[in-house]
Amino acid sequence: MARRSNFSRYSRTSRVSRYSRSRAPRGRSATSQVEQLARQMANQIIREREQAKARQRLGRIFTDFDATDDILPNNVETVTRGLFAGNTGSLTTMFTSSLLTATQKTYFQEVFSTADPNVDPNADSELSMAYGHFHGSGSKDLSGNLNNDTPSRAIYKQYAQILLAPNDKKFTFNGEDSDHIYVLNFNRPRMREKLDPGNFELTLAQLSGSIGAGPTTSGNNHTGSAVKVSGLGTYYTIIDDSSLTSGGSVNEAGLVYNLISGSIDAGVAIYDSADPHYYGLLYPQHGVAILNATQLDKSFATYGLNFSSVTGSGVQGDNTMKLFTALSSSNALTPSTTDGGIQGRSSEQVKSTYYFVRIKNAEYNYSNNPSFVTGSLGELYFNTFINDPQVYITTVGLYNTRRELLATAKVSQPLLKNYTREALIKVKLDF
Amino acid sequence: MGYLNNSSITVDAILTKKGRELLARGRDEFKITQFALADDEIDYDLYNADHPLGTAYYGAAIENMPIVEALPDETQMMKYKLVTLPKGTARIPVVRVAQSVIELNANESTIITPSTVNFGGGNRRFGYTAILSDSDVASITATRGALNQAASVPQFIGDSEAAQSITVSGTQFQITGKELLSADKQCTILFIGNETGGRASVTVTIKKVEVATTTGNIFD
Repeated sequence: MARRSNFSRYSRTSRVSRYSRSRAPRGRSATSQVEQLARQMANQIIREREQAKARQRLGRIFTDFDATDDILPNNVETVTRGLFAGNTGSLTTMFTSSLLTATQKTYFQEVFSTADPNVDPNADSELSMAYGHFHGSGSKDLSGNLNNDTPSRAIYKQYAQILLAPNDKKFTFNGEDSDHIYVLNFNRPRMREKLDPGNFELTLAQLSGSIGAGPTTSGNNHTGSAVKVSGLGTYYTIIDDSSLTSGGSVNEAGLVYNLISGSIDAGVAIYDSADPHYYGLLYPQHGVAILNATQLDKSFATYGLNFSSVTGSGVQGDNTMKLFTALSSSNALTPSTTDGGIQGRSSEQVKSTYYFVRIKNAEYNYSNNPSFVTGSLGELYFNTFINDPQVYITTVGLYNTRRELLATAKVSQPLLKNYTREALIKVKLDF
Repeated sequence: MGYLNNSSITVDAILTKKGRELLARGRDEFKITQFALADDEIDYDLYNADHPLGTAYYGAAIENMPIVEALPDETQMMKYKLVTLPKGTARIPVVRVAQSVIELNANESTIITPSTVNFGGGNRRFGYTAILSDSDVASITATRGALNQAASVPQFIGDSEAAQSITVSGTQFQITGKELLSADKQCTILFIGNETGGRASVTVTIKKVEVATTTGNIFD
């Protein structure tokens, strides 16, 4: 039994393998035939569909976009420009406005790049400068009130309100609170979305102020309207610390960078990057630079600029003019290869959608242009155009389903289109 | 060894007034779904098939022409659209109207049925867009809609620069004269094929109302 069983198992196995060997080639052949037929049918279906599509396109002026392949939405691109009028990156010549009233000047000075607007009504306004004091020192309330509602106090509180946390009342520079500040506020159309960190530089000339003047008579006489540059040809350049790994933070006012000694003239270079000298804070999203007046008041040897801000009580110090003088005079002090004053760029994120206009060889080879035909029967102007039409694309129109023209784009040169040419036009629409 | 031309061209698009309006309106009304091509500023008379330097120079005068910038006014763009037609086409589809000049009295109506020749069934699906230039002179309504009604040009109503224009879409239109008391007035109706893109215009004159004057004694 066992032997038979073994035999029968052997013979069954043998039969199966014989069967397999004999049937396999025929099975494979049948399968491949089926596959081939299926492929032919599939190809035919595809061909017929393509032909139907092509027929559908005939007599058409519109082509639908494939939402997946042809439209690339929400591409974000950062566009930077020079910060000042005419896409200029440097503001080296500055003018104040004599059109401001005396009261306005106690609060701020508006700075123009081309001329005093009183002289040239088309002068370009670039930024405003202001001085603020926590206690209201260095300015006088011209309205006659005696409750210390001075312009410098208003300015300090205004910027503290905008830029600091609700419970924070004073600006802090490198860990130390400061009672008084200088403000540079760039015009919104100039800075667009924000100042471009890493491309911002202030060059401040050393002034001739008395050190530590404070609220003394002599110091109070040293007002901004009487200030001069030191005459020593010395200056400091200040940049933001975005190039440092530790640079920059985000708080209630958005991005904040320290303003430290350094230069961007030949690439970003920080003076003593291990222990930089701090001058202020840059708030790119607000287009505002806050300078620490305490630091600027220091002597040149201690990295100040002898501003000697007037901080007397009830004294009109015109401190804003000190900042204006230090900035506007600095270009004359810098080497001819570098710019003084203010250098900066604006930055803006532009959202774009790309539309890929794909024009196949058999499409759009005829035109409704009246010069393409002759007579009233629509006959082609050139007989050669019957079999070999030549048209020129100049405009791409983008439409909605109601066929309303929503956007147009022009090519820079007429684009030849015929049966031997295909075209891919990438249309960029910024929002 | 020379440089190869880039295979794609990148162009910047600008929004039209209609585009801005829809974008401002929100609610997903600004949705681009299709494109068309035009050659508005090309005069094919500049194409010189007899150029002595041969085929490469036939279109030189056109190809070297600088192109003017795009305008935001959608009524002034995409006037002459390119169209896809079978190879060997000898005649371009032409939009036709039976009358190119119509004269009507006040409250008198006439029916205009545009047609497309040289292409069987042309514009049957999407019909025609009719733009009446001055709604003070006449009114226009679509008496027969297209299978798939859609305008190929913007609606002008509410636009201050073209407040008098009316745009309707369909395959048959009724024009009715308005009562004009001072003088005869003219307006035009532009019919644009929504599929083939051709256009035809009709000049409409509406006669002023003749008011009969009666003699009478003012003391009666």
